Amino acid sequence: MVIEVTWANMCLPATNANGRENAFQASVIDTLKHWIRRMNVAITVGAYSVVAPVGYAILATLCFCWRKDPIRRARRLQSFTARAYRFMHRWLGWTRITVFDHRRALPNLPDEPFVVIANHPTLMDVTAVTAVIGGACSIVKPTLFQRAMIKPLMVGLGNVEGPGPDLIRIGRVVDDCVERLRWGLPVVIFPEGTRSPRGGLGRFGRAAFEIACRAKVPLVSLTITCEPMYLSKQVTLFRPPHPTPHMEIGVLAVDQPDSLGSDSRALRKTVEQRYHAWLRKVAGEAPPSYDPAPKETECQTS
Amino acid sequence: MSDQLAARIKEIIVETLALEDVDPTTIDTDAPLFGEGLGLDSIDALELALAFHKEFGVRTQENDENNREYYQSVASLVKFITKKQAEAAASESQ
Repeated sequence: MVIEVTWANMCLPATNANGRENAFQASVIDTLKHWIRRMNVAITVGAYSVVAPVGYAILATLCFCWRKDPIRRARRLQSFTARAYRFMHRWLGWTRITVFDHRRALPNLPDEPFVVIANHPTLMDVTAVTAVIGGACSIVKPTLFQRAMIKPLMVGLGNVEGPGPDLIRIGRVVDDCVERLRWGLPVVIFPEGTRSPRGGLGRFGRAAFEIACRAKVPLVSLTITCEPMYLSKQVTLFRPPHPTPHMEIGVLAVDQPDSLGSDSRALRKTVEQRYHAWLRKVAGEAPPSYDPAPKETECQTS
Repeated sequence: MSDQLAARIKEIIVETLALEDVDPTTIDTDAPLFGEGLGLDSIDALELALAFHKEFGVRTQENDENNREYYQSVASLVKFITKKQAEAAASESQ
């Protein structure tokens, strides 16, 4: 008995010391990884500032080449940007800034043109969705759309100028989007109009649903998750979280507007309720069990 | 007159937008219609613009910077419709 007590007294401080040492090592590794990721972000931004003018020049040239055929021009340019976004996400994966597998095909996507809606947790949603579905038209803020250097590219890509503060201009936006769908191009809309609140969902506007009803095309609801959160309103570009954020895109449902009598209000209500149910389900589940850098972690901690 | 117009506007809002759970008399004349309050959106505004054109002959111009102000509440819509009808009457008398 005395021996046991003595043994325990001798071993306990040693165990604590090992634990402290391991915790210290882990925190040092975490801090190092965090700074490496920040450095990678800085390198990526630097590389982007070099590559972006080249990309702009290529897009501007392509815009000029196919100026007589706006539909063909939009298809080609969207295909080009989708490829550029795929490369961008591959790069972000290599540099461990974010991990997103754009090669994973989305099931049940219709063959005909469709309206895509999604929740909007991060700024990378647009590029990720475009990379996965291979190009789409989107609604762009008038302040960005009207910039002299940007406007020819926006028009060439088949993007639609947003309504801005004028409520009544939404009619023209709806008409333009319906026209793009008739061209055979998908249209991507974030119905919240801005990035989603953390772990939640903003109120859905009706434009996307109205467009699907008027164009009589399927409405594809995508779910986007990014864990841990990055490029949300709270987490800025130069504050990348640790561990590496993983982005996932899934298909929540594909709705035919006819099934609800082409009533955009009913369609919005149904889809919004479905998104809330999905969010409740996600919140109830355990956090995703992934190891951001399995080999590296294993080597350094062993 | 403006009370009657406000009451009619409230009825049009409920009828046009099929707000089944809303009694027109319960709509606050000064409450915001968009975002808060009734929580209408821009597509609703477009449908209302068409309904007001049909009912009162008042056309809401696209690209008018004041559209958001006109459609802010029932009270602002009363002012907008009254103003537009007065302008139309003045131009007809000339």
